Amino acid sequence: MTSREPDRLRELGERLEDVQRRQAAKAKGPPPNQLGIAGRFATELVAALIVGGGLGWGVDWLFGRFGFHTRPVFLIVFFVLGAGAGIRNVMRAATELNARMASKDLEK
Amino acid sequence: MAMTLTPMEQFEVKPLMEHPLFHIAGHPIYFTNQSLLMVVVVIVASLFLSLAVKPGRLVPTRGQSMAETSYEFVANMIHSATGEDGLKFFPFVFSLFIFVLFSNFFGMVPGSFTVTSQIAVTFSLSCLVILLVIVVGFMKHGIGFLKLFVPHAPWYLLILLVPIEVISFFTRPISLSVRLFANMLAGHTMLAVFAGFVVALGSAGGIFTGLAIAPMLLIVAIMLLELLVAFLQAYVFAILTCIYLNEALHLHDQH
Repeated sequence: MTSREPDRLRELGERLEDVQRRQAAKAKGPPPNQLGIAGRFATELVAALIVGGGLGWGVDWLFGRFGFHTRPVFLIVFFVLGAGAGIRNVMRAATELNARMASKDLEK
Repeated sequence: MAMTLTPMEQFEVKPLMEHPLFHIAGHPIYFTNQSLLMVVVVIVASLFLSLAVKPGRLVPTRGQSMAETSYEFVANMIHSATGEDGLKFFPFVFSLFIFVLFSNFFGMVPGSFTVTSQIAVTFSLSCLVILLVIVVGFMKHGIGFLKLFVPHAPWYLLILLVPIEVISFFTRPISLSVRLFANMLAGHTMLAVFAGFVVALGSAGGIFTGLAIAPMLLIVAIMLLELLVAFLQAYVFAILTCIYLNEALHLHDQH
């Protein structure tokens, strides 16, 4: 099919591809807006606290089933670990964002 | 005048039929407005995408061009986030993206129902993603996948860091689902609250009736913002899926 294709059409195809390539380089995903970033950090932090607290509560419950009354020791320990995980998450999200911003700046 | 504003009413899941479809462990399972919208989303999305590319023309029609653009958009996203071998997961990520996108956009139709404003839906989706990540990770690396939880650090710090990494891994389904759910819930509640202002002011009489135009204009602006959010959240859901898949495929070596 390509051999019989008229020259004008092929030329148009090449031009289209060129435009597409240029646009693909420009628009690599929508820019992160400020509210989105804030929301992202907040959910990361809170989710980690919930998971940490939940895990600790579960461990306490499990020990309770076997007759060890550890409550609330593990709840506290895992809550603190959850806070650590939350900060880790935010740091990771921030590195990701920085990388994306840096690549945006380079293209300008 | 007694006006009851119920901005949360739009999120109520109501059965559409009198009798439950069937029972699971004694719980009646109804066909609800939520199920209906999900069915509509899936049918419309599949019909649109399959019919649009049907002609397969060299110079695409408008519909075909839209379908092809979304295909390329997702393919580029996967390629840039996970590299060449991530493209195996294209069908999964694409279905996920299109489902969330169409659900969000269908929710924007006045009087309809937003499927993604239900935490049950978003949490199921994100659990699916995390389960896939775990399965892929173990299939690709075997037991070595657990190295994901062991950062480079002296051993005495690992006692502290490994639990933190594990917790951080299990926050993913939660932060992924809560982000989508909260954005949809907040946006639609905001719209309903301002719509309530319009009704309340409009029926207040006198000078207040004229003032009702202010929240009305605000609704138009928020509506536009919500359209952006609808797309953005679908994009965020898909790109985070890609990022998590990338970690399962390549562990730490691409960071």
